[in-house]
Amino acid sequence: MTDYLFETENLTYSYSTRQPRPSLDSVNIRIRRGVRTAILGANGAGKSTLFYHFNGIFKPVSGTVKYAGKPLDYSRNALSELRNDISVVVQNPDEQIFSATVEEDIAFGPMSAGIDKEETERRIQDSLFKVGMEEYRSRPTIQLSYGQRKRVAFAGALAINPKVLVLDEPTAGLDPQMSQEVIELVEQLCVSGTTVIISTHDVDLAYAWADEIHVLREGNLIYSGEPESFFADYSAVASAGLVLPHTFSINNSVQGICGGRAEPYPRTNSQILCKMLPEGSRAGKIRMIPVTDSVPDSGDEGISSGIYGSVTRRLFKLAGREPDFHFNAIEYCLMEAIGGKDSVLYFDAPLKDRILEIIGRMEAFGRKIEVVM
Amino acid sequence: MSEETQMDTLAYSSRMLSWAPLGKFLFVIAILIVNIVTSSMMVPFVTLAIGLSMMASSTNFKIPFFVGLALAEAILILAIGSGMISITGDKADPAIWDTHLLWFDIYMTHESFNKAWLVMFRGVAGMSVMISFATSTPIPHLSQALKQIHMPREVSELIVLIYRYGFLLLERMDAMWEAAHCRMGFNGFMNTMRTTASIAVGIFTSSSNLADKAQIALDCRNYQGYFPIYNTPPRLGIKWIAVTVIAFVLIYLFGMYTEDWIDMAELFFGGSL
Repeated sequence: MTDYLFETENLTYSYSTRQPRPSLDSVNIRIRRGVRTAILGANGAGKSTLFYHFNGIFKPVSGTVKYAGKPLDYSRNALSELRNDISVVVQNPDEQIFSATVEEDIAFGPMSAGIDKEETERRIQDSLFKVGMEEYRSRPTIQLSYGQRKRVAFAGALAINPKVLVLDEPTAGLDPQMSQEVIELVEQLCVSGTTVIISTHDVDLAYAWADEIHVLREGNLIYSGEPESFFADYSAVASAGLVLPHTFSINNSVQGICGGRAEPYPRTNSQILCKMLPEGSRAGKIRMIPVTDSVPDSGDEGISSGIYGSVTRRLFKLAGREPDFHFNAIEYCLMEAIGGKDSVLYFDAPLKDRILEIIGRMEAFGRKIEVVM
Repeated sequence: MSEETQMDTLAYSSRMLSWAPLGKFLFVIAILIVNIVTSSMMVPFVTLAIGLSMMASSTNFKIPFFVGLALAEAILILAIGSGMISITGDKADPAIWDTHLLWFDIYMTHESFNKAWLVMFRGVAGMSVMISFATSTPIPHLSQALKQIHMPREVSELIVLIYRYGFLLLERMDAMWEAAHCRMGFNGFMNTMRTTASIAVGIFTSSSNLADKAQIALDCRNYQGYFPIYNTPPRLGIKWIAVTVIAFVLIYLFGMYTEDWIDMAELFFGGSL
């Protein structure tokens, strides 16, 4: 039996009775535990409205919402318990941050949940570390930039150790590096057992990251399943107010120009390149070095290096070492390998299996990348 | 950074940040009271010295430009007020200057002249002490201090929320102001008036919109009806009470002793009195 985290049955919701059509109209959605899930839709499609039903902020006009198989209980105590399990990070950090200093804001969640000061302190440190904001701990929140505020909002959500993290447009308004950092952090959370649900209209992000997507259009759920099947239906994509992810488009174009099969659909640039490489070309190796409490020396002078994971990032910073690839390092190392060059990837030890899985996917595109541990 | 946030920045970087907010508050109130209850011209100088030394120790006299401007304006108003006091003396007393200007009788007496200076000195000295408090105590600290004296929770929570969302609205207003500039919104008097009114309306609607969204965000973060405090500032201790009482008594006694030390009328008008 499939382990559904959220299930809605004919979920209907209107903000007011005068609305010409409901904001959510008989939505039946099932979100599986531990699956990287993205909810896609144009502005006003009902993504945020749907999210707010997951943590009981909104109560359906009709229909039901189930969490872990049980219909939501809208009593005060039950909602409080529910919101300790499900953390929602809203799109605009200014709406979410309301304490005067960074540490006070991050402490808000744990302290509201009645967690003692010692544990709260540990969680503040841990959350700030994960989002790379340790040095801003005692800064007033009003003095932070937008990107920094977004990180603080993220840290505040992490501090309650949620079982489910719901992110509304997590990369909106962030610079490309910070976006990559957020995705890396999300990956870490997924690996540690947190179910992450992202709401976005960034099709590139959703396509590259999600195992499963749910697409909303004007309050109706029009698709649930693997991303490839949805994007293969151009009319559905267009009617949802979306566009094709660039990797998907390029793959189609290459297929049109060079012939061959569209499947398997590449989701990243390295997968596209892999597909396009001539038979017999030599691929480089990726040397993977796990990092736990110090940065080991690879001894590979002149080879490009990348870092992946917050512990590794921090230790590199402390050691004053500069990798070649700060962000999106797995992808860059794969690109190096496809170009026939070797590279070194330093990573947080718990992320090993996930990295191997990503590298292993290249086989489906005709290239086995050799990994040296 | 907007000018509005400079004050907050200053308070958070103050060397007096870790002092008990209630202690500072009590001390400042005591100094202000003793500044008023004594009639010695020397007491405002002592108050001013305390205020200036607190400002020096807190922020090295750094005050945001707009606060400096507001201070200058306050001093100007004080000067005008004091001038009015000095020329409206009791006609039962002998005048040191007596004239008629348009519809006004100008009648300056020895007492009114001295009183005017006393008001002026008290005002300036009081401002220095209040600014030293304001530039060393962020609003959330003040709110926590209010909690410590069992002020209703609703009041202190409201202070924090107003503080937080007030800044956001000010930021929004700044953005709207700049956008209006870009669109020639301040071109001419009438245009300026229209734009200012539109911005005011925009801010009003933004505030209700922000309130709605903030409520959702609060619920998302499992808001239980109060803001738990992680770092509570030091409480009001016996030391603060002792320092306050000692300062009050000493300044009061000093005021009694120095009551007739300075006679401004004598200084200005000398032999003509």
